[in-house]
This record gives sequence, structure tokens and C-alpha cells, in this order.
Amino acid sequence: MKVVIYSEDPEIIKVGASYFPNEHTIGITTREVKYADELYLVDRIDEEFISNFIASLKPDVVLVGNSKRDKTIAGYVAGLLKVPIIPEVMDLEGNKAKRVVYSGMGIAEVEFSYPAVIIIGRKEVQVKEKEKIEINKLEVKEGKVKAIEEKSKGEQGVNLSTAEIIVSVGRGIGSKENVKYAEDLANALGAALGGSRPVTAELGWLPEDRQIGLSGNKVKPKLYIALGISGQPQHLAGIKDAKIIVAVNKDKNAPIVENADYTIVGDAIEFCKIMTEKVKNK
Amino acid sequence: MNIIALFKIVPDDTLIKISGNSLDLNVPNKISTYDKNAIEEAVRIKEKHGGKAYGITAGITDRKTIREALAMGLDEVISIDMKEMDVMTTAEAIAEEVNQIKPDIILAGESTTDSSGSVLPSYLAAMLNYPIVSYAKSISIEGDKVKVERNLTTLTEIVEAPMPAVISVVGEINTPRIPTVRQILESAKKPVRSLTFNKAPKVKIVSVSPYVIQRKKIIIEGKMEEAVDKLLSYLRGEGVL
Repeated sequence: MKVVIYSEDPEIIKVGASYFPNEHTIGITTREVKYADELYLVDRIDEEFISNFIASLKPDVVLVGNSKRDKTIAGYVAGLLKVPIIPEVMDLEGNKAKRVVYSGMGIAEVEFSYPAVIIIGRKEVQVKEKEKIEINKLEVKEGKVKAIEEKSKGEQGVNLSTAEIIVSVGRGIGSKENVKYAEDLANALGAALGGSRPVTAELGWLPEDRQIGLSGNKVKPKLYIALGISGQPQHLAGIKDAKIIVAVNKDKNAPIVENADYTIVGDAIEFCKIMTEKVKNK
Repeated sequence: MNIIALFKIVPDDTLIKISGNSLDLNVPNKISTYDKNAIEEAVRIKEKHGGKAYGITAGITDRKTIREALAMGLDEVISIDMKEMDVMTTAEAIAEEVNQIKPDIILAGESTTDSSGSVLPSYLAAMLNYPIVSYAKSISIEGDKVKVERNLTTLTEIVEAPMPAVISVVGEINTPRIPTVRQILESAKKPVRSLTFNKAPKVKIVSVSPYVIQRKKIIIEGKMEEAVDKLLSYLRGEGVL
């Protein structure tokens, strides 16, 4: 079988290789890694061009990462090859895969036939580095869609996906000004600060790269503190791998309570002030 | 200008409950959340530039939900009944209809709340040989081109593409309108073309089980001072602080 693994995130090449340890693998990514027999390095991303390149390799399996651009390429490659596609796969064995469905409330087991395109995410895997790798540079040309401008959002260096402790705010924090109480708490705990979709994408109380949930960052901290977050399925889907979830909410009946280890029923700001003091003075 | 909004009718994800070892999907249907944004954007483009706004839905073809899409301002809906579907067969069913309409723009939500894959728009674009612009948070039409601001989580990208194009939209692009009583009444007169598409999908669902992580669900009430002390002692016991 010819296995092609593509992602703008080089970590995905390793995850992809772990599923097919005995096959010839071709990796396409943005930085050199030692987990594919052949590696193509790209210095920019044009979704149409990269899709056409992957399709031209005539692969039996295409494994693609799960960033927004990666997913766009996965769909386009599958459409070019006219093969089945299985998105957001968490486990893959032979021709069976497990994937998350219904906004993170269910896991579906699916059966399919190869050739196929499969979207995978980051996870901890053990893979041996390849001794001999053939490295090529792939000159990416612009397709029908022309890039005019690119603006980075938020600050660099906030890495929610690897944070050990996360303080996260929802609409229940009340206002953009009130976010600072959560920030104080995060600083006291040495935690990263994130937020729900309404707070980041809709209201702009926090930069969009801090969004936690199915459509933002999926996180796996030891401790997740949800402040004024009601717990919509799409948010819960992003925090399933947290070890301990603490919720602070005025409403004892909010869905987050059913999905938390500890819930304090009360005002999130009062909680932040008191918790910050106690953590500082410990 | 011909615009097509793709929308999927799904069980309302906010009402789905877990009962024992299964998901209770026997809940009211709705237009999938971000597909409503696609319908709204199609209607807005039509209102600004003229033309006709079509809807195509595939899968569950619940009449009441289709009426809602028409009440929001679509002129006509093509309803494709599919008993079984995967991304590939859905794209094939839709592509056949698209070829008859010859649209300038095809809009879809960034993902649906049932299968949440986000890949149908680009699959369809590749089949049609149209450009794909995903995750649009604003769209403007300039001559025979469309200019789109893309929301890529950590960055915003502005791109230009020739039409016809497939564009997927994020929830922040607009606020979907709530139809008036008059619009709801008038929607009954609008055409719905019903057809069926039967082709066995290559991806078969073997089972769906609830995705639950068992949590302790301990509720701490009372004065905040004392509640925080209790929480801190629990967290130290867990070894996470």
C-alpha cells in the first residue's frame, strides 16, 4: 500500500506513521521529521495545489491532519480521487475507524474500504525514526484561489493544547472587563487562559486563537477550570481529555455540572478573587 | 446571479440525551447550526445582487424544516431523500443537481452538528472542478470574482477566487434571520422539488455509542470562602495542584 501523510503540523506525520508501521510512507509537511520514507517539504500552503499533488501520487491511503486548512485539503483530495473520506478519526484499525459524531456526544464505529482519505489528530504514539529518508522540496504554486493578505490573530506562544492547567471563561463572566479576574487567577496558577466559542469568536472578549471546543483547540490539561461556561456539546467535545474539570456557575442545572468533577455554585468573579488570593498565599 | 445554499436537516444536538448505552436521537429536527448561516448569506447576496437563491438538502427531508429554510428567503428547495449516506454519496447526489442550476456561488456551513466532518464543501468543489474557499467570515462580490475573509483560527486570510466557487461559512459571518409570520405563510407557496438518491455508501456506520467520560459531579455550595477552601483541598487530594 502507498501511504501519503499530509499536514501543516509536522507532529501528524509521526501519528500517521504509527498507523502504518510496515508500509512505504510519503510525508508532506512544513518541517523536517524522520517518520516517513520520503518527505516533501512545503514552504507555503495552497490547498488546491497540494491536493492535486497528493492525488497525482495515486495513493491507497491518505492521512491528513485536522487543522482547518488540512481538512479543506482532505476533502478536496478525496473529491479528486473520488474515494471515501472519514473525518475526525480517533482510532484506526484495518478497515475500521472510530470517530466523534453529534457535536462530540457520540462515537461512531465505521467500516470502509481502501483507497480512502482519513483525517487524524495529534496523539501520543511511539514510532521509530527512519534511518534513511529521501527529502525533496515541493515548490507550491498558486491555484485558482489567490491569497491577498494574511493577518495573525492573538499573541504568539499561548499553547493551549499542551497546557497543564487551563482557566477558561464563558459568557457567564459577564463582560470583557471581567476577563481580567480570570487572567489574574490564571497567572497565580501558572495556567493558560482560554474561552468558549461565544467569548472568543462572537464577542471578542478573548482572541480567537484561545477558543476551546470542537471548532477551536482540543485540550488535555490536568486541571480545567470553566468559569461561567454553560457547557454546550461543542465546548464539552474539546475538554473530554482533561483529567479534572472544575466548573463555577450560578446555575446548578447547567449542562457543565453533569460534565464536571467539582462544581462551585456561585459567582465566577467572586470565585476568581478569592481563589487568586488563596493560591498566592499558600 | 444563481446562489445555492446547502443545508442538512439534523436531530437537534442540544436536545440529544444519553440514555444508558445509547444516544436518544429521537428528538425534533432542525437546520444544522452553521447551515443556517449559509442560507442567510445566500439570501443576503441575492437581496444585494439580484438573482435566485436555491437550497439543496440531502438526507432527512423533513417538510417542516424545509419550510423554515424557504421562510428565511430561499426561492426554491431541492430535497434529496437519502436513507443511507456518506460524504462521497452526498457530494455525488448534490453535484448532479448543481450541474442543472449552473450557480455562481455554492454556500455551506463549516460543519454539520451530526457528523461534524467539515469536508463536504471541498469534496464537492473538487468533483465540480470549482475553487474552494473554506471558513469564510465575510464575502463580497467584485465583478466576476468573490473576495473572502477566511477565519483560520490563528490567522485571518483574505483571498480572491473566480466564480463559480464553493464557499463554506463560519457561524460568525452573520446572524440568521427569524422569519416573520407572513414569510412563514408565504413559504407554503414556494416550490420544493423532491427526489431520491439511492447508492450504497462506502463508509458504513456499524454502531454509535455515547461518548462520556465519567466525572465525579461533586457540587459545592455555600459561602465562597468556604467553597474555595473545600475545592482546594479536593484538588490537592487529586494531585493536580
